[in-house]
Amino acid sequence: MKKKSVGQFLSESREASLVIVLIILLIVVGIINPSFLSFTNIRQIFLNNTLTFLMALGMLCVMLTAGIDISITSTLAFAGMSIGLLQKYNILHNTFLLFVIGAVIGIVCGFLNGIIIAKGHVAPIICTMGFMYIWRGMAYVISNNNWASGMDVAGFSDFGKDGAPGPYIILIIAYIIFFVVMKWTRFGRRIYAVGSNTEAAQVSGINVDRTLTGVYTIMGFLAGLAGVLSVSIYASAQPNMQYGKEMDVIAACVIGGVSMSGGRGSVAGTFLGALIIGIISKALPMVNIPNFWQNLIKGVIILAVVILNVVTQRTMERQNLLRREM
Amino acid sequence: MAEDLILELKGITKIFPGVKALNKVHFQLRRGEIHALMGENGAGKSTFIKVITGVHAAEEGQMFLEGKEVHFKGPRDAQEAGIAAVYQHPTSYPTLSVTENIFMGHENVKSGIIQWRSMNAEAQKLLDSLDADFKPTDEVGALTIAQQQMVEIAKALSTNAKIIILDEPTAALTANESEKLYEIVERLRDEGRSVIFISHRFEDMYRLASRVTVFRDSQYIGTYDVDGISNADLIKAMVGREITDMYPKEDITLGDEIFRVEGMTRTGYFKDVSFDVKAGEIVGLTGLVGAGRTETIESVCGITKPDSGRVYLEGKELSIREPLDAMKAGIILLPEDRQKQGLILSWGLGRNVTLPIQGELAKKGFNDEKKERELAKERLEEVDTKAVTIFQPASSLSGGNQQKVVVAKALAQSNMKVVIMDEPTKGIDVGAKKEIYEIMGQLAKKGYGIIMISSEMPEIIGMADRIFVMCNGRVSGCLKRSEVTQERILELSMEKGSSGKGGAA
Amino acid sequence: MAGRSGREISAVPETSIKSKLLSWEGALILILVAVNILGVAISPNYNVNNVLREMPRYLAEIFMMFGMGYILVLGDIDISVGALVCLAGTVTVLSSNAGAPFGLAVVICLAAGLLGGMLNGFIATKFTELPTMIVTLGTQIIFRGIAEVLFETWGNGGGTASMTDTKGLMLLAKKIGPFPISFFCVIIAGAIMITVLAKTTFGRKLYAIGSNKTAAYYAGIKVQRIRFICYSLLGFLSGLCALFLLTATFGSNTTTGQGFEMEVIAMCVFGGIATTGGKGNLIGAFIAAFIIVCLRIALGQRNINTQVILVIIGLMLIVSVLVPALSGALTAKKKKAQT
Repeated sequence: MKKKSVGQFLSESREASLVIVLIILLIVVGIINPSFLSFTNIRQIFLNNTLTFLMALGMLCVMLTAGIDISITSTLAFAGMSIGLLQKYNILHNTFLLFVIGAVIGIVCGFLNGIIIAKGHVAPIICTMGFMYIWRGMAYVISNNNWASGMDVAGFSDFGKDGAPGPYIILIIAYIIFFVVMKWTRFGRRIYAVGSNTEAAQVSGINVDRTLTGVYTIMGFLAGLAGVLSVSIYASAQPNMQYGKEMDVIAACVIGGVSMSGGRGSVAGTFLGALIIGIISKALPMVNIPNFWQNLIKGVIILAVVILNVVTQRTMERQNLLRREM
Repeated sequence: MAEDLILELKGITKIFPGVKALNKVHFQLRRGEIHALMGENGAGKSTFIKVITGVHAAEEGQMFLEGKEVHFKGPRDAQEAGIAAVYQHPTSYPTLSVTENIFMGHENVKSGIIQWRSMNAEAQKLLDSLDADFKPTDEVGALTIAQQQMVEIAKALSTNAKIIILDEPTAALTANESEKLYEIVERLRDEGRSVIFISHRFEDMYRLASRVTVFRDSQYIGTYDVDGISNADLIKAMVGREITDMYPKEDITLGDEIFRVEGMTRTGYFKDVSFDVKAGEIVGLTGLVGAGRTETIESVCGITKPDSGRVYLEGKELSIREPLDAMKAGIILLPEDRQKQGLILSWGLGRNVTLPIQGELAKKGFNDEKKERELAKERLEEVDTKAVTIFQPASSLSGGNQQKVVVAKALAQSNMKVVIMDEPTKGIDVGAKKEIYEIMGQLAKKGYGIIMISSEMPEIIGMADRIFVMCNGRVSGCLKRSEVTQERILELSMEKGSSGKGGAA
Repeated sequence: MAGRSGREISAVPETSIKSKLLSWEGALILILVAVNILGVAISPNYNVNNVLREMPRYLAEIFMMFGMGYILVLGDIDISVGALVCLAGTVTVLSSNAGAPFGLAVVICLAAGLLGGMLNGFIATKFTELPTMIVTLGTQIIFRGIAEVLFETWGNGGGTASMTDTKGLMLLAKKIGPFPISFFCVIIAGAIMITVLAKTTFGRKLYAIGSNKTAAYYAGIKVQRIRFICYSLLGFLSGLCALFLLTATFGSNTTTGQGFEMEVIAMCVFGGIATTGGKGNLIGAFIAAFIIVCLRIALGQRNINTQVILVIIGLMLIVSVLVPALSGALTAKKKKAQT
């Protein structure tokens, strides 16, 4: 076996190249502004991006099956608004039960996506676009366009306020569970199999429909959970909450090396992708780049990453061809 | 019944909408034998395999495994019963590791957790036993076709399959790789497993099998001892008649050179390929799969960009940068994969036929539907397409008739001078084949230059005036009609001084 | 040549097939009528004049819908156009405020849209390995990002800018009889775009590419050039959308055009265009667009929580894509039962 070139190593292990990008990013930002690497600051990066981190896990599963879900922030708003209203009208104040209710709403929303995509053979983008409108609209309808304010959710918001351990615990548990499930269990590997080659999966006796439904249900569950967390962290619930955030989640996955054509991607990569997005938004003001540059830089990075990927892939193929003797 | 039968099928009938794919076929497999299954494309071999592996359920018939009748509800049942299949195009998961491909569906799981380490070790053992030159952790998509097939065989071994079915395993392999495969298959037999071997290549059958079963036109023709049947009889059993009347090749006085390709090179695919065609001549281009025939032709027609090379039509050099340039010059390609490259399956036949010339028929950019309909009807009738209306979708036709639509599409281009047919009879039935040959003959008579790429030796010997043989990206020789034999083509197709080629990079 | 059997193949178009194809558009017209009846029933102010008066701010999106229809027929998707509207609108407002005459501002607006579309087209055709969803996800963030930067560096900050000199815009917002100018523009643009897609060789090529890109390429169609043209066209129409949006809003902010991309895709899909490519036509999408516009106006007049429209659009989308799937499954079952 020949020794692998650095380029080859990096293109084969997406995680390794992401870690390098991350380290460079941290060093540069750390030199310009050492306080960036403080514990509080890093903790805040995670807190500010809890929802992205959490939902990226579900998006990873969905994208592994070559699907996409753009309804997640609407599910989030519907679940979040629901539990916000439950508190506003003093129906329920038990934090645990609120979480359960939010999660159940998310599961139902996700299951509907899954069943329509799997059984109705509807393109994922269209189906989830439909529900994107429906759940966002429902969030407005049930709230009658009102907010649940910080007063309404007082007490509950303690769970997610700055410094409270709740969101971190949820993130850590979620990442550990997904890391194990995606790599070490049959269910996780089936998701990979379905995305890698649906026909072959069917031949090896994998129930493709059930796997697809499961994947969207998981996504819904996480979106519902994120809705509850969002209410807790931002201490309010409004029907337009987290509007457009689904693109951040998809972007995190894409940067993390999850392929849109399915079958490729990992929990570690997703984590790193979400972390890079989080760091960029937090770091810019600290290195004296005004915050309004954020989106532009984020967009350029996303495009650069995916194009770089194509270019390295092409060079590798070219090299393989050159090596062929004739 | 003294024979030790491991698998027996009786009176199997399988019906697809409108077609009887299998008509009361029989099959017997002894324990520890290599049994070849032969027949023309479309004879029903693949369907038959899918019935055995539980992918299709038969409408009629019985299946006995070790004397007991079985009913498979799905591929899973067949796997559990010890039947494994290795397909020509490996049905693998390209983005996953070798280990995972081998164990998908029967992972080693302890209390819900997949045991990667033990599975990797087991996979390594299987790969070692096959003398594989890759690691269990490699991604399957990065392997060669031969290596992927080895993964499939390892997968079959990992389930401890008693019956292993190999569907055209050598079609995409080099001579060395084929030899290696033969050795593996023999080893499997010596271990007491039974092997069903499907192949078009007679050398595969003679080298390996002890018995051969022949299917033709969805029917069972017979089972013979390989030692007891002559080549001619076997061909007759497969084709149903003497092979000579298949090829309506007439003697045509050849005209001047019409088309010439010089020094075509595309790194990694083919190198320094030159050939020429005279008016009225049928030139064959053959070689093993992967020799670079299709790739060369695609570069000639502007589908892909060659690194270097010149193309001359009627003595004038052409500059071909994209498919349209070749078409405008009158070089018409009938692509290899008619379903993906040649036709838009969801479209009606008429629109397919007029797709390349709709611009010429149009008035100021607006489609002239009436003219298109008339022309399509005329061309489709000319090649005798079995169709009701020009509006029925191309997907509703059989393979042979789809090919006729592709031919009609080429004929609709009135400026045609050179026709390039890539595997024109692949996967179509005997009757349609003969009609395609007749069309080729008539085109030659009219003075077109014809290039036919084919892997099927009989047809290339039967139809071509001259045969260029390619091997590993180069033209290894050119044979005239008078001097051509199967052996000489094979000799030119095989690599010489074979060592360390085509392996893992 | 062959043809010995003398078998005849019919070349007479079957009207029943045609009527089948027409049925979805027919259903959409019925829905449009129903929506208008509903409008009259629930709102006393729902009449021709009021509808036409309120229409302009909804009409702008329809320009973009035509371009999106082309992209979807190709089997591609472009989710950057909402952000592109924001960018085009922003540069128009800012350049006008910086002293550019209205004519120049219009040119800048259309050019910004065109350039954005060309950027999408360039990346999509040079890196064909990338799903266009990802490409346009990237440019979506970039386009809005540029607008955000412009507000702060060129404008007065705050992520918003109003046009100070609105004389030109007023001119564009004028009416001819009861009809707003934008209404005529939409009808003209629609007529052109529908005809090109349905009747010309260019349109046929789009369907060929959307149905089978490889076969289209082998048949001599310049697939990548046509894709580039369609992306550029969609970009240009986004600029046009931005311009007509300005005639209703007279300003731009960071959320301008947000969600437009999904709305126009929804209109197309509801109108019968499949996101998988090669299917549907713009007539259906055109009617679908007016259904949504009328529904909006009717609900808006009644002061019904305008967001109910979101639920309705979503339901219409899901039902419209599920109907063919369900009916297909049913006929398949029937066939099976027959054999």
